[in-house]
Amino acid sequence: MREMKPPETDHDLFERLRAGQEQAFVALYQRRQPSLYRFALQMSGSAHVAEDVTQEVFLALLRGECGYDPERGSLVAYLFGIARKLLLRQFERRRADAPMETADEGRLAEPADASDPLQELTARERIEALRRAVTSLPRRYREVVVLCDLEEVDYAEAAVALGCPIGTVRSRLHRARMLLAGKLREERRGGAAIPAWKAARCEI
Amino acid sequence: MSCEEYWNDLAGAEPAEGFDGHLAACPGCAARWEAGRPVAQGLRLLAAEMKHVSAPPRLEVRLLRAYRERYGRSAEGGGVHRWWAAAAAVLLVAGALWMGMRPPAPPLVAVSSSPAAVAGAGAEEDDAAFVPLPNAAGSLQDEDVDLVRVELPRSAVTALGMPAGDDSDAESVEAEVLVGPDGMARAVRFLN
Repeated sequence: MREMKPPETDHDLFERLRAGQEQAFVALYQRRQPSLYRFALQMSGSAHVAEDVTQEVFLALLRGECGYDPERGSLVAYLFGIARKLLLRQFERRRADAPMETADEGRLAEPADASDPLQELTARERIEALRRAVTSLPRRYREVVVLCDLEEVDYAEAAVALGCPIGTVRSRLHRARMLLAGKLREERRGGAAIPAWKAARCEI
Repeated sequence: MSCEEYWNDLAGAEPAEGFDGHLAACPGCAARWEAGRPVAQGLRLLAAEMKHVSAPPRLEVRLLRAYRERYGRSAEGGGVHRWWAAAAAVLLVAGALWMGMRPPAPPLVAVSSSPAAVAGAGAEEDDAAFVPLPNAAGSLQDEDVDLVRVELPRSAVTALGMPAGDDSDAESVEAEVLVGPDGMARAVRFLN
């Protein structure tokens, strides 16, 4: 009976690929490209951009340009960080990232309507409505939703990838969900997908 | 604890083991957290729907080429000529089936080219790399390729001069073939 070897870590594969072992590169690529590609796809809405970004991420890895330091974060966090920087460059070039970030980051907001915005929708309709809503989120909220909710990157790794404190990841994530709920409610009512918000604070 | 401290430091996708002190004491945050729950559930559905999506196979081929340019062909890539010879034989069969030019009998090869199989390829497979075929060099840069999975009897693989592997219980060997828009094979990867 064969003994099952534990899967190699990303770091081990990275070390081996830098030593010229092609199979390590292939293994790392196959392990990480799907989530990187999906991240770029959800962020850009373009399969072409997603493919370009995924390619550039791995080329940066090959060239040793990823700035990866295992003391400061995992390899996958660095790869997402590169993908994000490449996407930001794309957005700047295309000026396609409509600014909606007028809300005060330091304040809490709650939805004006607490009903389930996805009620009465079929599973397929829910998915499509959410996909549209995610795509229309402002970039700083979209990236955290895609990373943490869709790609299940943990908050600490997301913080490394986004270059912000972990608390910011958490607060943006919750705000993003509120924004999504608002957008979905607006869409359900047949109005423009602009959420109605009111600021609220409470202290305990 | 302030609400902002709660949302910045403690809040997760689910309350910790069904209980969270701040949520229990703050109706405003509890309502806010509850309002986000349907969205979180919907996002899980969307995540599951997206799980099969991955980069097109041509990207792996392109990156492998870049890797080999930088590091040179590794020892793992040895025996290439033998692999090419075997690949060419597989591609004759796969290509014929792909284009519907050959009747399926005798059932020597099984082909799968479902979208799920194509999209999911590369995500969970083994460590083997696609080996570009000599006559396909340079043709994968910009074209769309499809991935076709073929299954060969192990005896046929041995007859092609390939190592049959040490898993004698398996009766067949799987391979994946990248097929260009003209129906011609571009690269092959043996899975076991």
